[in-house]
Amino acid sequence: MAAAALRPAILRRIRLSPSPPLALAAAASQPHALARWLARPMSSHDAHLTREEVVDRVLDVLKSHPKVDPSKVTPEAHFEKDLGLDSLDTVEVVMAIEEEFKLEIPDKEADKIDSLPLAIEYVANHPMAG
Amino acid sequence: MASRPKLSGIQKQVLTLYRGFLRTARLKDPEERLRIESVVSAEFRDNARNVDRRNFVYIEYLLRRGKRQLEQLKNPDITGLATLEVKK
Amino acid sequence: MLRRTLPALRSVKDGVTDAARQAAKGDAHFPSLRGHPAARVNARESAEGQARLAAAEEERRRGGRPEATTVKEFQVYRWNPDSPGRPFLQSYFVDLAACGPMVLDVLQKIKSEHDSTLAFRRSCREGICGSCSMSIDGVNTVACLKPVDADTSRPSMITPLPHMFVVKDLVVDLTNFYQQYKSVEPWLKTKRPPGGARREHPQSPAQRKKLDGLYECILCACCSTACPSYWWNSEAFLGPAALLHAYRWVSDSRDDYGQERVQALSEGWDKLYRCRMIKSCTATCPKSLDPAAAISALKALHQLRKA
Repeated sequence: MAAAALRPAILRRIRLSPSPPLALAAAASQPHALARWLARPMSSHDAHLTREEVVDRVLDVLKSHPKVDPSKVTPEAHFEKDLGLDSLDTVEVVMAIEEEFKLEIPDKEADKIDSLPLAIEYVANHPMAG
Repeated sequence: MASRPKLSGIQKQVLTLYRGFLRTARLKDPEERLRIESVVSAEFRDNARNVDRRNFVYIEYLLRRGKRQLEQLKNPDITGLATLEVKK
Repeated sequence: MLRRTLPALRSVKDGVTDAARQAAKGDAHFPSLRGHPAARVNARESAEGQARLAAAEEERRRGGRPEATTVKEFQVYRWNPDSPGRPFLQSYFVDLAACGPMVLDVLQKIKSEHDSTLAFRRSCREGICGSCSMSIDGVNTVACLKPVDADTSRPSMITPLPHMFVVKDLVVDLTNFYQQYKSVEPWLKTKRPPGGARREHPQSPAQRKKLDGLYECILCACCSTACPSYWWNSEAFLGPAALLHAYRWVSDSRDDYGQERVQALSEGWDKLYRCRMIKSCTATCPKSLDPAAAISALKALHQLRKA
């Protein structure tokens, strides 16, 4: 009787033991997922940007563009309406933001970014922005 | 927030091409990169000013030519880009 | 009036029917062109045209028919990207009596004597380089092998290869065409390790014979640009020229990757099976090759291996 009562307890222990190696194997089969998971706590603690930092750096990028009047640059500004940039300038600005934050913005997304709020939003929500 | 009028397909292609050139320029030496950027930007701006926006035949031709040139520039053996001014 | 302005558009199929009829008649007139119906048609047309021109000149010299003329109108497609404007047909009047017999001779004469801004590709002037391919009176062919239609009462129309992007005048953008040719890996691939005692790849006469009708392709792109399937899907469908070359390497006894080649072509239905056996390629080929047969052979190989 005692042995019968012990059995489920032992089985539970035995069943428990293989699970960590299984999880490791699963993680190994998805190397990128693992890498991301490893990188996450670090970036959330140390490297993740605060919103203020993002705003400041985006504004700096805009102000340094040769065609932009730095006094007009505000976090609410629209590239074309407020800063007088054409679509080619906008491409240059978005590319400069890309470089500043070490991102690669896909063309589809880049086409949509036409104002500072959208640019700030995109960078702030991007997990890889650094 | 009001956004600018929606870009047409061909306009998007032009911007994508411009982006492609700027991206490729990043891979070259810093000095050459500056030169490529200024040459490419001058070419795009010149055409933006002077080409009739309804002349699709010509714009598509320029797009194809630009794509071919970009393919060449992407070759790692190509270090830079130069232009020649021809008086018309 | 309308007949005067519209050039005669002979259907490609007419040419093939002519050729078949001529072939059935036997090789009486041009025995050296045995097995080359396109060349036979060209030779006959050329001989007839020259006879006609000679007759017209003779007539005029005797003052019999003053209206007999050897000057013919050529309507050439013009488009220059640097001078904005729509493409148009420009007329040139060329005296055929003072010009070579082929359409390429006419173009050279126009370029040297009438209008040096005309752009076209040419090199060998004997049908071996494939540079001067264009659409002449509605049929894709190489200008150097195409005799001028000596009927001076109607104009000839010369346009670039259809459905291709024009670079300038008669010059078209063949980037995609060459890219597709490259994609069939047109070179010998062998599983034999390099540096063995035998460096040659020997081939028996019978094995070599299998390449006849395939190796002659000069990549002039006449066939691919005559193919409706290629017109609508030139990005996906490889087109008759590239497929003919693919079959040339599959048929080569020295190549060890035939199976893999067929496999690669049938991956994704588009590359090979977009061909619907329209056979415009075979009808228009200036070298009298049969890309349609090569494509159907590739399809058969693929189906047999699947079974």
